[in-house]
Amino acid sequence: MKPSNTPSSDRLTTLLYVTATVGAALLAVGAFVAPDRIWSNLLVASYYLVTLSLGALLFIALAYVSGAGWSVAFRRVPEAMASLLPVTGLAVVAVVAVRLKDYAWHPRGPHSGDNFWFKDWWLEPRWILTRAIVCVLLWIVFAKLIVGISRYAGPHSGTRSLTSNVRLSAVFLVVVGLSFSCVSIDWLMALEPMWFSTMWAVYQFSGMVMATLAAIVVLCLMLRQQGVLKGIFTDDHLHDLGKLLLGFSCFWMYIWFSQYMLIWYSNIPEETSWFITRTHGPWLPVFVANIIVNWAVPFLVLLPRPAKRNPGVMMKVAVLILVARWIDLYLVVFPKTVGSTPVFGLWEIAAITCGIGLFGLLFFRQFDSASSVPSSDPYLNESLHHHC
Amino acid sequence: MTANADTLRPPLVTGDKSLGDVTRDVCAPLERRPTGSWWAALAVSSTMLLVGFIAVWYQIATGIGTWGLNKTVGWAFDITNFVFWVGIGHAGTLISAVLFLFRQRWRTAVNRSAEAMTLFAVTCAGIFPLIHMGRPWLFYWMLPYPNTRGSLWVNFKSPLIWDFFAISTYFLVSLVFWYLGLLPDLASIRDRSKGLRRKIFSLVCLGWNGSARTWHRYETVYMLLAGLATPLVFSVHTIVSMDFATSVIPGWHTTIFPPYFVAGAIFSGLAMVLTLMIIARKVMSLENYVTVNHVDKMCKLMLSMGCLVGLAYATEFFMAFFSGNVYEQFVFKNRAKGPFSWAYWTMVTCNVVIPQVLWLKRVRTNLAFVFVIAIFVNIGMWFERFVIIVTSLHRDFLPSSWAGYAPTIIEILTFLGTFGLFFTCFLIFCRFVPVIAIAEVKGVLPAEKREQDDVVERSQEVAA
Repeated sequence: MKPSNTPSSDRLTTLLYVTATVGAALLAVGAFVAPDRIWSNLLVASYYLVTLSLGALLFIALAYVSGAGWSVAFRRVPEAMASLLPVTGLAVVAVVAVRLKDYAWHPRGPHSGDNFWFKDWWLEPRWILTRAIVCVLLWIVFAKLIVGISRYAGPHSGTRSLTSNVRLSAVFLVVVGLSFSCVSIDWLMALEPMWFSTMWAVYQFSGMVMATLAAIVVLCLMLRQQGVLKGIFTDDHLHDLGKLLLGFSCFWMYIWFSQYMLIWYSNIPEETSWFITRTHGPWLPVFVANIIVNWAVPFLVLLPRPAKRNPGVMMKVAVLILVARWIDLYLVVFPKTVGSTPVFGLWEIAAITCGIGLFGLLFFRQFDSASSVPSSDPYLNESLHHHC
Repeated sequence: MTANADTLRPPLVTGDKSLGDVTRDVCAPLERRPTGSWWAALAVSSTMLLVGFIAVWYQIATGIGTWGLNKTVGWAFDITNFVFWVGIGHAGTLISAVLFLFRQRWRTAVNRSAEAMTLFAVTCAGIFPLIHMGRPWLFYWMLPYPNTRGSLWVNFKSPLIWDFFAISTYFLVSLVFWYLGLLPDLASIRDRSKGLRRKIFSLVCLGWNGSARTWHRYETVYMLLAGLATPLVFSVHTIVSMDFATSVIPGWHTTIFPPYFVAGAIFSGLAMVLTLMIIARKVMSLENYVTVNHVDKMCKLMLSMGCLVGLAYATEFFMAFFSGNVYEQFVFKNRAKGPFSWAYWTMVTCNVVIPQVLWLKRVRTNLAFVFVIAIFVNIGMWFERFVIIVTSLHRDFLPSSWAGYAPTIIEILTFLGTFGLFFTCFLIFCRFVPVIAIAEVKGVLPAEKREQDDVVERSQEVAA
């Protein structure tokens, strides 16, 4: 049964169409009224979505490389997310490309000198764009290959396609380690080119994985409710995803704290600048809320076993984490690009609704374009009978 | 489809073993007289231990002026060795706790010995800061308790004191976790022995009776301790990294240190587990329990940790140049091209370049190759700490205070002594405690083996 056949999914499709269209229309208007804010919103949204699709591909690759069987039954969900990489990747490259000047730190500026030859070279606008295009292309190629092999595996080629995907995934893990380190620095950290932190890529990685897991939970539960994954996505899968979500929420906090604490402790002016903007004045409440929604609440809620097996609770926590991820990125981008006061209004809502609508529409279309279960995967049986 | 999955998941125990075979095979080395090679190994390691003991005695009696430290390089060999040994210990907790939470059933073959290594390695590590205190007999001043020493109180803001807390907690939890896991196996030995040996094992297995209720309690506590030990894997090396990263020294102060140190620690720990287990499985005829399949899996983990460490090296270099900070840039140029560049390139070769051959399955399943690679990783990880500590210090901000560093013979002998301690402890462990978790390995035998054997053994008991 496909989601497009059920009345509830018809309503959902219509709703997604409406949100996407209304959001896009508003953004188009906003591009003339408040270009800076629209650009910041588009950067947050496109980065958010590209990391969701990249995170999904990472999830699949990790499962292949570690020989995991449990996640096979619902693998079509992360696969559909990863298939959106051409769209989300193109979006983020376009957003970065239209405002390359925001990344161009002034090479002859007050701090410039011989010590900055590397920064001059690294943050040269064309070079930023080249890197972005190369990295996104690499992700797209790997997504096409890995998802393609999984989707079009014939009934008797299960083991052979598994072997090729394990190999591809292992290579992809190396590619993603290097490319994601580069682009997370380029697209977000370089917004404040005088600031630097070696933890940055790890911090972005932890947020990416956490949000991806939350999105997988939300989408699997929706598809189960619609009947597509009924009896396939079980409470045991939900439980394991819940454990991972709890683990990565703690990992995010660990990385966040390590970065913050070390900068706070050493108190070196070049490094503290980033945190001073965000811990003083009106940004402070957002700064604190970020920790509460990304870690404190998910941690306390997900700790008991029954919570992780309860679809209602898991849905709420996953949605909260998706909101939290937005706040986390908002806190990275907006203090630099929009100003000293947090803003939330029509333009933010427009970008969020447009993002959700577009991602949802494309996701369900991708999901419908293949069988809902990877039936030739040798681990499928193990996954369907998974108990934890 | 099921047949497919079976070939993809090779059996964890080979040789068609029954439940009884597992107990017999693992207990066999404990029940026969030690072999000549065991005595020879013990003779070598205890001699090393004795030499180390004399060196420690000498330096405590004389003072740590016997070390090669100077005003510029105030931390060197001692802290390198400390971090090296703490790191070795990490694989134990990773395998026993983290892989337990991830339901990695292959861990059962190596968790016991890896946990034992954790305990011995942390003991070795503790020796260095203890001596460095200068007056080791006053080490308890590190404990924050209401005392009669006036205003003498620990500095809670110092990462060195966090380190003391973290490592002592780690040691205690690892010890309890290890001992708890031992209980059913100690009971197995009790049931197989007579006389004094039986009395001793009755006492140490805490009255284990194998009832369903005992098992239930055991598994509950085991799970809880695994959950508690997991944050400890991260916290210990995180705090060790903060000993450096909270400073303002270029090369030490960098935010990536916590996860980078943890990855490095797991990397070195796996290398040490592989080094010892490849020998132990052969000498103790445990090839059916620690199989090539297990080695393959550990190699994959080691390769991924090696790549993560490599990424961290690259990130540090990148950020030093990106930051535009001249001092950062100098430290990293000095690492790669300065007087200690040989140490830096040894580190890169051993930790990043050589482990890349583990991409090949043929290498991962060739135990001789794996053994050699594991030795390289052990060496590389020692050099990593040496490079971080010494190259960041030896060329100070003022060129007039630049200095070199070379360890004295006393320092080298102390380090040798810790190897003696580690290997002596490990050899004794192999003689008195089952090196493989018998009860846990029984749990990963195929289901039909478990059921069939129960019936046979029960009928034998009835007959007896």
